[in-house]
Amino acid sequence: MVIYCGCLTFFMIIGGYNMKFNIWYISSFFISIIVLIPIITVSFSFFESTSNYYEILKDTFLIEYIFNSLILLISVLIFTFILGAGAAYLVSFYEFPGSNFFKWALILSFAVPPYIYAYSLTAFFENYGTAFTLLKTLFGDANYNKSIPKFDGMFGAILSISFSLYAYVYILTRASFLYQSQNLIDLGKNLGFSKFESLYKIILPAARPAIVAGLSLVAMETLAEFGAVDFFSINTLTTGIYNSWIYFDDLAFANRISFFLLLFIFTMFILENLSRRKAKYHFNTREGLKQKEKAKLLGYNSFFAFIFCFFLFFLSFLFPLSQMFYWTVKFPENLFDLDKLNLVLNTLYLVVMSSLVLIIFSLISNYGNRVSGNRSLNILSTLSISGYAIPGVILAIAFITFIAWFDNSIIKTLGFNSIKKIFIGSVLGLVLVYFVRFYSLAFNGIKSGYEKINISVDESAYLLGYSKKKTFMNIHIPFLRNSLLFIIILISLEIIRELPITLILRPFNFETFATTAYISASEDLLEAAAAPSLFLILIASFFIMITSKYILRETHE
Amino acid sequence: MNKNFLEVKNVDFSAGGKIKVKNVSFSIKKEGDIICLLGPSGVGKTTILRTIAGLEKINNGTIELNGKTLSSKKINIEPEDRNISLAFQENSLFPHYSVKKNILLGAERNKEKKNQSIRFEKLVDLLNISKILNKYPHQISAGEAQRASLARSLISLPDLLLLDEPLSNVDQSFKEEIQVSLKKILKKLKITTIIVTHDSYEAFYLGSKCGIIINQELKQFDDPYNVYHLPNSIEVVNFLNRGILIPAEVTGENSLENDDLGTIEGNFIKHYPKGSNVKLLIQPEDLEHDDKSNLKLEVVDRKFRGTNFIYTLRTPSNTLIPVFVHSHHIHQHEVDEKFGIKRPIHIDHIVCF
Repeated sequence: MVIYCGCLTFFMIIGGYNMKFNIWYISSFFISIIVLIPIITVSFSFFESTSNYYEILKDTFLIEYIFNSLILLISVLIFTFILGAGAAYLVSFYEFPGSNFFKWALILSFAVPPYIYAYSLTAFFENYGTAFTLLKTLFGDANYNKSIPKFDGMFGAILSISFSLYAYVYILTRASFLYQSQNLIDLGKNLGFSKFESLYKIILPAARPAIVAGLSLVAMETLAEFGAVDFFSINTLTTGIYNSWIYFDDLAFANRISFFLLLFIFTMFILENLSRRKAKYHFNTREGLKQKEKAKLLGYNSFFAFIFCFFLFFLSFLFPLSQMFYWTVKFPENLFDLDKLNLVLNTLYLVVMSSLVLIIFSLISNYGNRVSGNRSLNILSTLSISGYAIPGVILAIAFITFIAWFDNSIIKTLGFNSIKKIFIGSVLGLVLVYFVRFYSLAFNGIKSGYEKINISVDESAYLLGYSKKKTFMNIHIPFLRNSLLFIIILISLEIIRELPITLILRPFNFETFATTAYISASEDLLEAAAAPSLFLILIASFFIMITSKYILRETHE
Repeated sequence: MNKNFLEVKNVDFSAGGKIKVKNVSFSIKKEGDIICLLGPSGVGKTTILRTIAGLEKINNGTIELNGKTLSSKKINIEPEDRNISLAFQENSLFPHYSVKKNILLGAERNKEKKNQSIRFEKLVDLLNISKILNKYPHQISAGEAQRASLARSLISLPDLLLLDEPLSNVDQSFKEEIQVSLKKILKKLKITTIIVTHDSYEAFYLGSKCGIIINQELKQFDDPYNVYHLPNSIEVVNFLNRGILIPAEVTGENSLENDDLGTIEGNFIKHYPKGSNVKLLIQPEDLEHDDKSNLKLEVVDRKFRGTNFIYTLRTPSNTLIPVFVHSHHIHQHEVDEKFGIKRPIHIDHIVCF
């Protein structure tokens, strides 16, 4: 940790060399450093000694953790590619019944986190579950349990994660398809390509960077997934981290697995960034952007396209929604027992606090980068947005490790009272870790807004006599207003769905819809998990609906 | 001694840590004068404007405006405190305001100068932007954005106006009209202006002085007439690209001899001793066509330029010489035909290197 502080000072001096230290530079620097703390903490903790648990685990479960994580990852990638790219292709290039509806409806799957999908899947297919009741109502008494397939274990986890995350591939691929030059497609026709040949010779290769970017996001989320894999009792690296801390009280070992997982995730992160950079090289001419003429599908083709999109929409959104709705209605006592007002207030409290902190600091950091034009600060900011790639479990544990170190080595050495209680098991701690987790969302959102303001606009303002502060307040803020609103809604959506960080760091007796659902499900009270899950899906759907225009537009801007 | 209104003394202009133009000195004598800076793309013309505006700093020399030091190694007045306006080449309008609001923001500056201000409507009319006033910057063309940006700069009545390729995106059909309007407005408002352009005709029309920047240096800073007719270096000749240099021998006070063209007479700009071997600048308007002349050269190319043709002629020693011929000339010459040059050849000012 001493080395760590030394590195920070060194970086700051190097960064500030050759420029005057202004308040914007220093603020941006410190914000970036705060966001980087978990990564640095995990890296340093790798070298600390662990309990015997590591020795036991190394020879037994560690291979299983890695193997399961890989199986899960590869399967989810295959599923999400087929679902996401397939749907994007159909709605972008063809007109069929409902194609305009599916265009935005398919992103509603974001409202269903994998763990709620997992509850729905189990609730429907389990012995004497909803499928059983349905068959019994339709066809009378029989032992249907034998013939109803069971979607649990690894396959259940793969399905839950795939149906929840395919929208990443769908959104990015669709955006890329929209950007594809009409000329390119016309050229394909000119060369006599069939629809299928155009797809695999022109359309898919041109969209490859976007598809890779979408799949990288899916990969990061899959490796970070906790709720669904924990529910299906799959031992992955993420659950391993959680277990080594909760059940074996070995923070150092949790950090050690985290380090391995981080290396894995950073590979995905770099891949995603590289793909994104390449994704900008689509034709971007006025001709290229002209509205592509969608081919009207007829007969069998039209039916197939409709069925594919409908089933995708049904399975990813309507199915979990109706399952949770059915159980909420079937067991109304759970709905009445649910402390709805308190949960809404808690969620609102977290959303408001986190949004405020994220927006304010991301604005400062972006503006600092813009006015200082310092390269090293830019690199630091780019590194610091990697927070979104780090699983919530790792962030929460790294945060606890850092606070424990800071408390023992600095605060107590200086003779002050312990600060652990201020940060661990408090809303402040929760908001801080949310800040790290969702910083990239806010930072990148504002950055993409800023990228639309040419730097000469700032300079014009200075030359009209505007100070830096006046330029920020009168030019930047009004221009970024819509972006800020969009970011706040996205943050809200993420916080409502967030599980592991909230679970680990929440204050005593402080619950959200996500934690309430998780706790009920982990106690095998799936019926009780239905009501909070339903609330969560409805609120998230509302946010998605009001931002769908932005989500579908922003991604291709 | 009267102080110059703008004084740039021994300044190294740099951007992104790289020196773009070295050791530059020039001045603007009195308020209201217009000067133009010409040079190839990427040579550092914009950097000069940005530095004078205060957007880039200097490590060498001084920039003074009206007796006040704006930039030096130790002093750097912030751009917002200079009362200098820079109209950028690219669209720098505030994206969330309409064109009208953008222009009126400029009017908020220098309100005390009301007595010499130009009416908004008049300006809008002169720059032909009345139809786009209620549009937003993303809804207008690059040329319209440039004119709106120019209007915002003009209406702000700065002490010094800097225009970076102000008409580069304006349609050719409009260009001359706007050049006339711009010159009229600048003279009326007495706004001291530096215009950066790569269009030599624009520079010659608008500027009372022109600076030629080539290879990191300000090569020449002079009246437009002199820059054109009396270029001080081969680089300036090559940049203006309006003539060629042919070998010649000085044969007298007012004459030279070239193997292909024979005797050439005129007034030397610079004295050379008899017998000197020099490179003589021949510009397209220096030679006259004469069908009856016995000095015949071969036509290798003919370009129609509206008011005139430019014939490219090959001499016996294989040098290519451009010659203007009025487009109403009685007949045209085809490629490979012979083309007569009037003798004796007389050039008003003989430029040699």
